[in-house]
Amino acid sequence: MTSGLMLASLFDASVWAALAAAVAAAAASILFLRTRNFFYDSLALAATEIGLVLLAAGILAGAIAGRLSAGLWWTWDARLTAALVCWLLYAPYLMLRNAIEEPSRRAASAAVVSIFAIFDVPAIAVAVYWWLARRAPTPPIAVGWMILPMTLLGTALAWIRLRQEQRRRAQDAERRTAQEI
Amino acid sequence: MKYLGQIATVALKDVRAELRTKEALNASLAFALMILLLFSYTFDPSKEMMREVSGGLLWIVFAFAGTLTLNRSFARELPNDCLDALIAAPIPGSALFLGKCFASFVLVLAVELVSLPVFGIFYNVRWTLQLPWLLMVLLLGTWALTVIGTIFSALTVNIKLREVMLPMLTYPILMPALMAAMRLTTVLVNGQPIGEDDVAWLKMLIGFDVVFTAVSLALVETVLVG
Repeated sequence: MTSGLMLASLFDASVWAALAAAVAAAAASILFLRTRNFFYDSLALAATEIGLVLLAAGILAGAIAGRLSAGLWWTWDARLTAALVCWLLYAPYLMLRNAIEEPSRRAASAAVVSIFAIFDVPAIAVAVYWWLARRAPTPPIAVGWMILPMTLLGTALAWIRLRQEQRRRAQDAERRTAQEI
Repeated sequence: MKYLGQIATVALKDVRAELRTKEALNASLAFALMILLLFSYTFDPSKEMMREVSGGLLWIVFAFAGTLTLNRSFARELPNDCLDALIAAPIPGSALFLGKCFASFVLVLAVELVSLPVFGIFYNVRWTLQLPWLLMVLLLGTWALTVIGTIFSALTVNIKLREVMLPMLTYPILMPALMAAMRLTTVLVNGQPIGEDDVAWLKMLIGFDVVFTAVSLALVETVLVG
């Protein structure tokens, strides 16, 4: 396996893991809106953050693969471009969270964005494919065995983030009670 | 019937307020003309070039100018706590949302219909050859723009960074609809009918409108009340 192919399959694996993270985030968001349990809000946040990290790593691997195979950093490959659009779709989720102070308002608004985004991911994938596949044929998807370590890594990171987030929330709650006293 | 009346009341109120103050309409129109002019410096507006870029150019103008109008959609209600009054009004949240949607739809469409002839004159394009189809793409694309713009305008209305957050959130979501509208507009402005290859884009645009109108209506109460 050449390093270019290795990187291409790394890209595919991290994109699939990021897709799983997006689905998990949307499911957690729906559960939050249903139950108003902040555990699901933390879960959605953790999944989205890790998904964005995986996607960024995948885009980087894809760009390097393009540089190795075609000599260009950005080849307007349909899958790579769709991944970038999805990254731009989910990055404002974190910006929106930072912009809202009040916890329940922040969680509800973020959940709405996450649900909108998951409906948009397939549309983006199809549209970008139609737009770019006319110019250059895309290589077949080669997920391979790398999907397994990638998903495990993502799950582990998301679990750590979830624990952090819950601890932060508990601290916030204690601080607020202390202030009230 | 009562529901439609409620939608019409909200929509007419918004259009009336906008026609009296013209605060978003003037800005949006001036902005659209400005971008149309600025684009003439980025490339040589020859016939061949226009054949390639007309749809993309037009929809970038529409999306940017439309955001100015959509930003005001809910922000207009902030002074004097009008938004709280509207939310407390005895109408469903979806009626309030659809009313606001239709008002923005009319306003954005008005700006587009002024920009189109100006575009035709500046860039020497005979854009009327496929007028009925072009108008349909315009209606579908504008509905996508307004339905996403209005729901996110409601979502971001109470945020300090409102003007920044709205385009950040809406443009990536609108990407499939904008791509479809750009492709179809390029074909139609060049006087060609929508070919077999491009029917898929039309379906994409209609599907986008249907899906995101449904998602918006499902989530509108959450967005308004929290």
